[in-house]
Formats: sequence, structure tokens, C-alpha cells
Amino acid sequence: MIEVRGLTKRYGDVLAVDDLSFDVAPGTVTGFLGPNGAGKSTTMRMVLGLDRPTSGTALVNGRPFASLAEPLREVGALLDPGSVHPGRTGRSHLRIAARSNGIPQRRVDEVIDQVGLGRAARRRIRGYSLGMRQRLGIAAALLGNPRVLLFDEPVNGLDLDGVRWIRGLLRRLADEGRTVLVSSHLLSEMQQTADRLVVIGRGRLIADATTEEILRGLGNGRVRVRSSRSEELLAGLRDRGLAATRTDVDELEIEDGTAHDVGEVANALRIPLHHLSDVAQSLEDAYLALTGSSVQFAGSEPVAEVAR
Amino acid sequence: MTATAHDISAGRVFARTCAAEWTRLWSVRAGRWFAAAAAVVMVGIGTIAGSEADPTAVRSEPAWMASTVTAMPAQFALLALALTVVTSDYATGGIVPTLQWTPRRTLLGLARTAVAMTAATGLAVLLALASALAAYLAAGQALDLPWNAGLDALGTVALVVAGGSALAVGLGFLLRSTAGALVAVFLLMLVLPFLLPVFGYSWMSAVAAVLPGSGAAFLLIGEVPGMTTASSVTALLGWAGGALLLGWLRLARDDANR
Ligand SMILES: Nc1ncnc2c1ncn2[C@@H]1O[C@H](COP(=O)(O)OP(=O)(O)OP(=O)(O)O)[C@@H](O)[C@H]1O
Ligand SMILES: [Mg+2]
Repeated sequence: MIEVRGLTKRYGDVLAVDDLSFDVAPGTVTGFLGPNGAGKSTTMRMVLGLDRPTSGTALVNGRPFASLAEPLREVGALLDPGSVHPGRTGRSHLRIAARSNGIPQRRVDEVIDQVGLGRAARRRIRGYSLGMRQRLGIAAALLGNPRVLLFDEPVNGLDLDGVRWIRGLLRRLADEGRTVLVSSHLLSEMQQTADRLVVIGRGRLIADATTEEILRGLGNGRVRVRSSRSEELLAGLRDRGLAATRTDVDELEIEDGTAHDVGEVANALRIPLHHLSDVAQSLEDAYLALTGSSVQFAGSEPVAEVAR
Repeated sequence: MTATAHDISAGRVFARTCAAEWTRLWSVRAGRWFAAAAAVVMVGIGTIAGSEADPTAVRSEPAWMASTVTAMPAQFALLALALTVVTSDYATGGIVPTLQWTPRRTLLGLARTAVAMTAATGLAVLLALASALAAYLAAGQALDLPWNAGLDALGTVALVVAGGSALAVGLGFLLRSTAGALVAVFLLMLVLPFLLPVFGYSWMSAVAAVLPGSGAAFLLIGEVPGMTTASSVTALLGWAGGALLLGWLRLARDDANR
């Protein structure tokens, strides 16, 4: 169980985290979503007692993390996988972790096997790929068999196998009744793994609900239509008050419309259609709809283009 | 949740943290390099000094001279060792996992300081002993090796390196940068104490007299004008205590590594 209450962090003029409150319950994978710079990492660092909140509190299993005597047995966390001494071997990195928390040394070899680090564990971390560092960080997080786990962008740098492995791992950890908080900006990834989503933008809470609720609660669908006479069709749709935009030479997309409406319009104008479909509402769309106004580092492209 | 069922005493956590710190220190090359550098300087110079001792002056001088004289240059390798125990964790970002494993900052600071000082001071005493033995053996009959003088010499080396490494650790926690802390240590321990008096102004000499390097030099080789044993010990330990206090404040109050 993680309880965040009124958490705020200010860096000079920047309000990195702004009065954030949410709970992360056991037995679920909770996705922590937000655009770049939204404050996900800062929030996790404050939960772990690394950064001092400007105000507010964060409790893990009812206690501040910094008061724990054997933190690895209660909370495992993967933050920046590059934050390790490159001159040490992966194995001695983990041995130090075990020693500091009174964890038997044989656990080190168990987690090395579990994350698939294998023989690389005896090499210096200097030579590790990002994916291997990621696995080493996860090994350290699992070392004490903790009830609470925090992962900051764990699929970063992993290949397809690795991504699938993480997905399974998160699911398994939650099914074992553990509390799992995982941040990501791979939105489709969260759609597949997270039961709940805590969405933030510019340090503020935007949504805190189940993934399904967030997907469902977002406006009407979109329709995609293709026709060789798309110019006429576009004009006709707009005449009838439908918000159509061109997405390709022969392709249009209609916001807030149904395939039924579009079919009727085309028939009335006697325009042949080559394709007509509902565009599945993806988390990407939901996410952009939610965070659209709080994206700090938006590119110059229009939002609709970014969404695809 | 079995772990929270029984409470673990702070003493137990401290002991575990010290064990982890000890492994941390010796599992990277830097620590071993600094130790090797100190060994080469102390045993090497001790051997050379012994072999050049005047053979006609039969057993006049104690070989323990080698311990304190060679510790003067070699202390810097040991101070660098103690300093990098602290700063390498900041340079590599390793402080992030460190504080995840030991989030009680005062306890971490105490353990890290204890391990760094013990390693530097322990090595200094061992190498001081080796240096004197090397000089004694290389000198044939020319040097003496009286035990009471030995205890004196080893005690002095231990005091100087303990004080210096405490200063280095404190500056490491305070400045969090290897380069910055090394420069500060060299300025306080070597450059300023020797440079300031050269200008000939009395106030500059007075400043030099309260710097830790003047104290260390007087205790190890004597011949520092204006210094006494008492003023030397005061300067050395005062600076060490001050640096540790400031370092602890930064460790305990600031964000982990930003
Ligand atoms: N030490 C610092 N000093 C000043 N500003 C900071 C500091 N650390 C973070 N910030 C700012 O705080 C905000 C939140 O940063 P944070 O790293 O928490 O975002 P994030 O959600 O993890 O982003 P990303 O998806 O890019 O990892 C950003 O605007 C960042 O620039
Ligand atoms: Mg981040």
C-alpha cells in the first residue's frame, strides 16, 4: 500500500509536483502516466525518501520509507538504471544490497537467475547494455521479496522479449497480492498491463481510475473513411456539421461521428466508399484528451497527428 | 511482512551497513589503487632511507623515523581513498541505490565515515610499521628499532591520518564532487600551510598555523615554526570535526543527489 497525500515539490520556479494525492492498492498493477516532465520520477523519488517534499507526505505500508530498517524487504524500486557504479560487477552490486539489509547471499544468485542476467553478473557493469542495467535494477528490487514495488519506466531499453517478460512479471507480482506502481509513457503498454491508472500532467493529478473507466469515459468514437472522391465527401460532411479532417490523399477522419452518419452522407451524395470503419479508442487518444492541455514539451505537429 | 514483525535494533542496522560499506570500498579498483600507491611510497622510501643510513653511526637513530616521514606524502593517497568512498557514489549516481538500501541518512553517514576512516587509518598504521621494518632491514646495523618509540610513531601516524581522513570524508559529503573535494583537501592539507608563510606577512603565517596541514606536518616531521603539539592536534581535529558536521548537515537535509 502506498499513500500519497498533498505531495508537492518545488525546484525554484518549477513546480515539479503539485499537491498530488493518490493511493496504490495491493493486488493491482497501477500505471503512473504522464507526459515528459510531468513529475513521475520526482514523485517516486519522494516516496522513496530520496528527495524532500516541499510539503505533503508519502507513506509505504503506513510508514515513511526513510524510517525503515530493512527497506529492501518491504519496498523494491527501480529508478534510473544508470545510477550504479560502473566499476563493480553486477553480482557485487547485489551482494552489497543483500548485506545492507541482512538478506542471505544465496538470494543474490536466485534473483540473477530470475531476471536472466546469467553469466553477465560476473562482469563489470561498465560493459552492460541498457537492457542489462534494467534487469540488474529489477534484480535489486526483487532481492528482498518485498510487498511493494515501484518501477520507473521499466521497459525502457528492453527488446521485445524483455518487454513481454516485464509484462508477465508485473502481472505475476500483482497477482501475488503485491502493490505495484509502474510509470511509463508507452501508453499502449499500460493499456495491456495496468489495472488502474494514475494520470498526471504538470505535476497535477488528472485522472485516477481503472484503465477501463478511463477508456470508456472518453467522448465518442472516431470514424475513418476512404474514397477516391474525398474532396467532395469532405465538403458534404462539413456541410452537415461533422468535424471531418483529411488524414491522407483519399482518407478522412471524422471526430464525434458514427459510421452510420458517414454512410448516409455518402449515399445521399452518391459517392462510392472504399473503406468505412470505427477507429478504436486507444489509450493514446484518451491520454491525449486528458493531458492535452498539460503537455509541456509538445512538438509542433497538431495533436491529431501525434496521436497516430 | 515477516520483516516488520520483529524490530531490528539500530546497532544491528549499523553493523550491516558497515559490512556493506566495507564490501563497497574494496569491490572497485580505486580503493585498491590508492592503497597500493600508499604502500609503494611508504615501503619504497623507507627502504631507500634505510639503505642510505650512515653505517658508521652505529645504531644511533631509530628506524621509526621512516614511519612518520614517509607518511607525510603517503597520507594523500589514503585521504584520496577515504574521500572517494564518499564522492564516487555521487559521481556515478550510486547514491540512489545506496539510499534505497539504507535510507536512514545519519546512520549511513556514520557507517560510511567509520569505514573510510578505519580503512585509511588501519592501512596507515600497517604501512608505517612496514616502512620502519623496511628501513631497519635495509640499514643493516645502522638503525635501531626501539619498541617504545615505535608506539609513539605509529600513534602519531594514526592520529594524523584519522584526522585527515575525517576531514576528507566531511568535505566529500559537503561538496559531493571528487574534483572539488580533492582540491579542497590539497589546499587545506598541503598548499596553503606551506605557501602562506612564504609571503612573510605575520597574519598569513597566523592563518597557516590554524590550518590542518600545518598540524599534520608538525606532528609527522616537526620543524614547523610556531606550532606545538597541542595547537597541531587542535587544528587537525577542529577542521575534521567541522567538516564532518557540515557534511552531515548536507547529507541529512538535502535531496539525495540533485
Ligand atoms: N533537480 C531539479 N532541479 C530543477 N528542476 C527539476 C529537477 N528535477 C526535476 N525537475 C523538473 O521537475 C519536473 C518533473 O520532472 P520528472 O523527472 O519528475 O518528470 P517525469 O514525469 O519523470 O518525466 P520523464 O517522463 O521525462 O521521465 C520537470 O519539469 C523537471 O525539469
Ligand atoms: Mg522520469
